[in-house]
Amino acid sequence: MSSHAPNVNAENAPERDQTYAYNYKEQMEQDVFAAISKPKPMFFVALLISLGCVGIGAYSWTQQIVYGLGEAGITNPVGWGVYITDFVFWVGIAHSGTLISAILFLFRAQFRNRFNRTAEAMTVFAVLTAGLFPLIHLGRVWFAYWLFPYPNQRLLWVNFKSPLVWDVFAVSTYLTVSVVFWYIGLVPDLAIARRIKESKLQKTIYGIFSLGWTGTFKEWQHYNQLYKFLAALATPLVLSVHSVVSWDFAMGVVYGWHTTIFAPYFVAGAIFSGCAMVITLMVPMRKIFSLEKYITVDDFEKLAKLLMLTGLIVSYAYIIELALAMYVGHGNIYEYEQFMYRMTGDYAWAYWIMIGCNVISPLALFIRGLRRNLLFLFFLSIPINIGMWFERFNIIVISLAKDFDPYSFGYYTPSMIEWGITIGSFGWFFTFFLLFTKTIPVIPVTELKEEVE
Amino acid sequence: MEYRFKNKAEFMEKLEALLESGINPDDMKIVIPNPDHDIEHLVEHYKSPSKLKYFTLIGGLTGCFTGFFITAWTSLDWELVTGGKPFLSWPAYIVIAFELTILLGALSSFAGLLILGKLPQFSKMLNPENYGNEFVIITEDEE
Repeated sequence: MSSHAPNVNAENAPERDQTYAYNYKEQMEQDVFAAISKPKPMFFVALLISLGCVGIGAYSWTQQIVYGLGEAGITNPVGWGVYITDFVFWVGIAHSGTLISAILFLFRAQFRNRFNRTAEAMTVFAVLTAGLFPLIHLGRVWFAYWLFPYPNQRLLWVNFKSPLVWDVFAVSTYLTVSVVFWYIGLVPDLAIARRIKESKLQKTIYGIFSLGWTGTFKEWQHYNQLYKFLAALATPLVLSVHSVVSWDFAMGVVYGWHTTIFAPYFVAGAIFSGCAMVITLMVPMRKIFSLEKYITVDDFEKLAKLLMLTGLIVSYAYIIELALAMYVGHGNIYEYEQFMYRMTGDYAWAYWIMIGCNVISPLALFIRGLRRNLLFLFFLSIPINIGMWFERFNIIVISLAKDFDPYSFGYYTPSMIEWGITIGSFGWFFTFFLLFTKTIPVIPVTELKEEVE
Repeated sequence: MEYRFKNKAEFMEKLEALLESGINPDDMKIVIPNPDHDIEHLVEHYKSPSKLKYFTLIGGLTGCFTGFFITAWTSLDWELVTGGKPFLSWPAYIVIAFELTILLGALSSFAGLLILGKLPQFSKMLNPENYGNEFVIITEDEE
């Protein structure tokens, strides 16, 4: 029953006449669908750079497939390195999309309507990216189907007690449900695209993907219920997925991994990094597509508050983790040594990058002026992304580099192949994202229309 | 008869009058440009709400059962001790059952929309009726 137009202050709102809402909707369609037009040269430059990165990644992976997993820097004792770091990083990026589209939907937070389409697209592309890394890490990727339970001649089944198998189920469920949720939200908007796009080809493509949606009450009635249920299903799902990812570590006996706070710690971290990525993507996009009227600074400020909150939770988790290790002290020499090693050992640089990016830099968001400064938010979001990558690197690599027995201590240096694949993953993600901005309305038109009534 | 409105209030007035006069909501075609809770409340006063929830329920329960069944059955099909744990390690299987509950619940809800909403409508994919942002009521009365 919202009775105010989005982004219009009560004082300076124009006098509403009978057709105010109608005209507003017409105007919004024009503004949003204007983005789906012939791209400017800059778009192709960006696309070429992204595809170039994909090329680097593809070349690196090919090298690894041809010459074997030895091309990567991972070896004993650090058997999980950049690949698993990238995997956790990208799954984490995905999470805030579902938070914004599902959890904030259930909480009726209206500002989500501006971000949910892009954030949800980001989720889908980030899970697509994340899903590559277990395959890359397998080495013999052509045996990837062994991860799934299927009847086979050897009469063997997968080990359902293993968190790695849980992960297969969690991530593939997450990808499927995210795609369905995203697509459902898209259907009415694609029907609008079918109506207002001129060319025959565009009309045909949008027409097919709109499923012949006409917007009858009957369709909307089922649609609303479906949307609500998908949001309700996606909410526990998103919490479970990163919990399961964290159990990949927490179920192990390695010190630095084996703690009970991992699930909430990882979920908060995921949303923290995801919100940062939403800001990284949406600040330039809003500018390029002139969507200032629909996505205001107020909306970004709410996102910045979410970033601040999750940043504080992550900082709290770092403190707890450290405090517990110090508290047990020499009573548990391994746990104590592990955290001393993180802070002062061979990888101290990575630890302090993480602290600087994830704990110190978000504190600036306590200042209202900075929270509302989009340029600042954009430049803050990048170190946060870097910091969150290093968080996973620290957890995974440092814990393995120094475990129980001095005999098996080691130092891990990622190889060029691993860096190449990491660059490739960014290219892969941004290629999808760039294509998305030119083919699909980047803000959900029908949901914003509902607000104006 | 076809009524078209640019204004929601006028549309609601007409719709209420029509529903009040005893026309079954299923006998008229109502087209709206965006989801709207006021309209939904009004019409659902005369018409039962969507049955999509049963699709979700059945899908979710099927997923939950499948998750527990597949984990338990495969563990007993070839009894192999892993990690020193019992063959039927229920706590570990909850994760699989949970994920499959969500997966099948979501997919069957989606199927519910397609079945109940009679989508996809192939004839309308390429030749849609265009009402733009207008609120439309079409009744099939002989006047």
